[in-house]
Amino acid sequence: MSEEAPRQDLVRRRSLADAWWSLVAIAVAMLFFFPIYWAVSTSLRRPADTFTVSGVGIPWVHFTPTLDNWLLEMSQPESFRAFTNSTVISLSAVTIALLLGLPAAYALARFKFFRVPNKDITVWFLSQRVLPPVATAVPFFIAFSTLELLDTRLALIVCTATFILPFVVVIVRQTFFDLPIELEEAALVDGASYLSAFLRVAVPLAMPAIAAAALIMFAFSWNEYLFAVILTIKGAATMPVHIAGGADTRGVQFWFVAVRSLIAMIPPVLLALLAQRYIVRGLTLGAVKG
Amino acid sequence: MASVRIANVWKYYGKTVAVKDLNIDCPDGQFLSVLGPSGCGKSSTLRMLAGLEHISAGDIYFGERRVNDLPPKARDIAMVFENYALYPHKTVFENIANPLRLRGTDGATIERKVRAAAKMLEIEHLLDRKPVELSGGQKQRTAIGRAIVREPQLFLFDEPIAHLDAKLRAHMRGELKLMQRRLGTTMIYVTHDQLEAMSMADRIAVMHEGVLQQFGTPQEIYNQPVNEWVAGFVGEPPMNFLDVEVVDEDGRLCLVHPGFRVAVTAAQQALLRQRLSGREARMGIRPDEVRIATATFPGALEARVRVSEPLGGDMLVDAELAGSRLLVKTRPDFTGGMGAPCWVAFDVERWHLFEKPSGVAYF
Ligand SMILES: Nc1ncnc2c1ncn2[C@@H]1O[C@H](COP(=O)(O)OP(=O)(O)OP(=O)(O)O)[C@@H](O)[C@H]1O
Ligand SMILES: [Mg+2]
Repeated sequence: MSEEAPRQDLVRRRSLADAWWSLVAIAVAMLFFFPIYWAVSTSLRRPADTFTVSGVGIPWVHFTPTLDNWLLEMSQPESFRAFTNSTVISLSAVTIALLLGLPAAYALARFKFFRVPNKDITVWFLSQRVLPPVATAVPFFIAFSTLELLDTRLALIVCTATFILPFVVVIVRQTFFDLPIELEEAALVDGASYLSAFLRVAVPLAMPAIAAAALIMFAFSWNEYLFAVILTIKGAATMPVHIAGGADTRGVQFWFVAVRSLIAMIPPVLLALLAQRYIVRGLTLGAVKG
Repeated sequence: MASVRIANVWKYYGKTVAVKDLNIDCPDGQFLSVLGPSGCGKSSTLRMLAGLEHISAGDIYFGERRVNDLPPKARDIAMVFENYALYPHKTVFENIANPLRLRGTDGATIERKVRAAAKMLEIEHLLDRKPVELSGGQKQRTAIGRAIVREPQLFLFDEPIAHLDAKLRAHMRGELKLMQRRLGTTMIYVTHDQLEAMSMADRIAVMHEGVLQQFGTPQEIYNQPVNEWVAGFVGEPPMNFLDVEVVDEDGRLCLVHPGFRVAVTAAQQALLRQRLSGREARMGIRPDEVRIATATFPGALEARVRVSEPLGGDMLVDAELAGSRLLVKTRPDFTGGMGAPCWVAFDVERWHLFEKPSGVAYF
């Protein structure tokens, strides 16, 4: 009996602690989800109800929901164009960054450079993220204007790719570095070329890190606003520009901002769910030797 | 199949010298073991043979062909790494099949060869597993399977069984030797375990601090070590070394120690007459070449038992002979207890004498 008592006490205390932390988690989640909830709520109201709704704006309780805003937004060609532009630009920029960044990361992890040491090259990549992006705005504008590429997707793709390249280089370099080099050497001895040891051994094993880096880069590209505003007018405008376009001379059209923000959230969420599988699978691959 | 010739090879890592002026000739089809303690440059040598490491100076030939500038894939070799280096994302089958796939072998042949290799290594039932689901011994067999599946001209094994437990290691020694004999492929096998090298190899190259100490058959290495270092490294329990003086007594050379004064044999005397450089020398004798008894016998020297260790089939006696330690391996019925007097005699045909301080063997 005397042994049982403290044990039960412990269990009770543990479940109490769990409950307490669950409450904290719910509170934090509500804090984070509230803006999203508010956007959903706003998007379902008539424009006139935007500021006049009572309570916390629960549909059917505080107002009668309508799909008018959604239908109107969907019927506008600009809206479709912005979505396509964003998707094409982000995916292309991420692809380019991966194509250039993975070999760069691998080279930094596996080869030794003498003229400029590996460490300096890595820091140089990293330093791009330290520079305030706006400092490069004028050079980029002049360059693309000279090339007559203003208001094209290509301009934004190139420009975004240069900004996200450091992410993949720095993140995946470390992962390549941590892979046992014998795996690639075994491939070389088995008859692989250096390229195929990289593509067939190093890249598959670094997939979790690559997926994580790709996700971060996609989010960055998707949210990029500064250069989208500077380098586009209309034709190549992206979602962030389109969302900002909800504010015009008549004030902020919150109902459109809400609809567009919600639409803009869909691709990153889908991609995160997709990448999650890769990231988790990577963790279960395990070591070379057990 | 190919012979291997390593000619005046050096390996530097920055300022560190890992291999110094190495010369080894390995005839076609032989089992060559590279033996040495940790950090002596064994792996570096093997990696230069594989083409994974740049050769700082010198040449390596496979047959008549100089391979210095060939990439690993062009050398037609197979290697087993110390940590096995199995691809964690591939099954056992795919791991073994990899060298064939990379060379564009057709599916049916791959299937047949992988199954044959797996059968030989008794891992047929594991072909669908991933490396994480294997025991150490099974991983090691898989790594060997990947090496033998393609019938290369040269095997390079880097301490492949160092991480297995003692029993499995003993089993694998026999298996590997049998496998090499059956396939007839030249094998270069790196190990720090002298028992592995002695039991498996046709030839042993003993290395120490990047320098080749001795190259010869296991018998030569064991019976005629060229220097004190090799004599001490090879053999278990290790050889006894005693400081002695070489004294000329009426034309007869004797080894003099506080505990004894014994004349060398005529053959040994002839060798000594040619080369003797000073009075001081080191006498070496293996523990099983010392006779020990609890009662005196003709020619016996008096010693004292410090401690005796029964090893089952043998008895290891740690004795003291006039202030020097002497390990003796004898029969398990030796009864001398701790501190008890005992009598020892050397098999003078079998002892060794090394120059001081260079350690080079006189005989
Ligand atoms: N990549 C490297 N860079 C610098 N020094 C190295 C490198 N690889 C090996 N060395 C050095 O070269 C020497 C020989 O190393 P090597 O790996 O050939 O030894 P080994 O005989 O295989 O030892 P072990 O039994 O521990 O595997 C060591 O002193 C080691 O520190
Ligand atoms: Mg080694």
